[in-house]
Amino acid sequence: MHSFVQMLSRRVLSSCRTHRNVPRIHLSSRSLATEADVSAPSTSSGIPPPSAPKAKKEAPKHTLKTAVILNRSPIITRTPTKFEKSYHAYQSRIQRALHNPFPSEFYFKPGSLLEGKFAAEEREREREAFGRSGTGVSEASQSDGVLEVLGEEEVVKPMPRVHEADIKGDTKSLDRQGERNLYLLVRGKDATGKEVWRFPHGDVKPEELLHDAARRDLHAECGDHMDTWVVSRNPIGVYQPSPSEENYIFFYKAHILAGQVRPDGKNIQDFAWLTKEEIESHVETEYWTGVKDMLSDF
Amino acid sequence: MASSLLSLRHINPPLRVAQTSVRYAAREVNTSDPRTDIIRRVLYPSNLRNRASPVGNWRPDVARRLQRAIPSVQAHETIERAWLLHQRHVRKSRQSELDRKFQCMRTAMEKLRELDLQRYRAANELEDPRARSEEELELLKTAKAPEKKAMEARIRGLFPRELRVPTETPSRDGWNYDWVPPSRPTQ
Repeated sequence: MHSFVQMLSRRVLSSCRTHRNVPRIHLSSRSLATEADVSAPSTSSGIPPPSAPKAKKEAPKHTLKTAVILNRSPIITRTPTKFEKSYHAYQSRIQRALHNPFPSEFYFKPGSLLEGKFAAEEREREREAFGRSGTGVSEASQSDGVLEVLGEEEVVKPMPRVHEADIKGDTKSLDRQGERNLYLLVRGKDATGKEVWRFPHGDVKPEELLHDAARRDLHAECGDHMDTWVVSRNPIGVYQPSPSEENYIFFYKAHILAGQVRPDGKNIQDFAWLTKEEIESHVETEYWTGVKDMLSDF
Repeated sequence: MASSLLSLRHINPPLRVAQTSVRYAAREVNTSDPRTDIIRRVLYPSNLRNRASPVGNWRPDVARRLQRAIPSVQAHETIERAWLLHQRHVRKSRQSELDRKFQCMRTAMEKLRELDLQRYRAANELEDPRARSEEELELLKTAKAPEKKAMEARIRGLFPRELRVPTETPSRDGWNYDWVPPSRPTQ
């Protein structure tokens, strides 16, 4: 709560600061409006053409690029830690000791086979929670009798949580590391022309909005055979490769829902789906410091 | 922090929160259908305090059961405090991750505002999920069922339909690598 108020006040202060610094060469005062003062939302994308030419003699020329952080969100739930598991077991023990007596006459016909099966299973669960107590021999024979009559049910085994891609370490697989967030890293040329591991990026056309450019660039570099969804119109981060040049890469978050990357071979030589730590080991140090805060930890 | 948690120990919740003055035995009305008898017995148990009931109005053996379940009062409180501390750590780490991401977003929006005001304004526009452009309406009229489904799964401003919730175990078929793009006009 306190931090939220602080963040709000900081934003107000910074906007005041930029107001003072912006050169007053804009012809209309509306261009100094803050983000609350927004034009009516239009459903069609595309910027309306500027009404008057802007004299930008003082402001330096900058190039915009968009990059996409394509995320495969977790497929399976997180494994609880040892402490969490034991705490859950402890709490279920207390629940088992204190819960209301089960009205078995309401749920089962008295003396039916199903009631016997349920009673046997309950005894098993009680034994697991509290350990063996009293005469265990007679109970065991009773439960075996019931189970024999009912017969073995067809138990459908669920898929294992560890996929074979985990064992092989196949970084191109989208089934690997089901618990974690996987991000697409691509091997291609960066701004300087060096072959590096980076996120897929591309240029922005003159009259194109950034989120549309992000989507177009992603499909241009990684192929059409991916079902992706760009989360929002807002970028999640910005990176300036070299402090001297006015080139900015705006990052957009997207999710992959189906399909796989098909590199064209021209811009992209290779790709990999990596977790946050693996990205750190693949990517240049400067790039990593610029990008690491946008990624999810787990 | 430790002192505030310890002070909770002294707040003893009242054991008796409700008390009826009338105690009645369950009426033994034997109708032809035993099922209605059972339902009546479950819904309207006797509140004479002679044995534990399914509804749990009177539980005389709580202390004994608790003795079986927990090692000791001190041990139980230590476990509870350890859990709360663990939850606090988890909450803190999640919050700090969110704060870092939010800071990144803020710097990006500030930079965009400095560089390109029109694109900044466009990025700040709210997406109305109910709004439909003219081309979309035209396409919806002429589109076939799978294309319509594909379009309805991607409404701008809402989450996509195909975004799955994580499950305990993965699906039998695994990831769909052979996805073919349908003729979807705009995302």
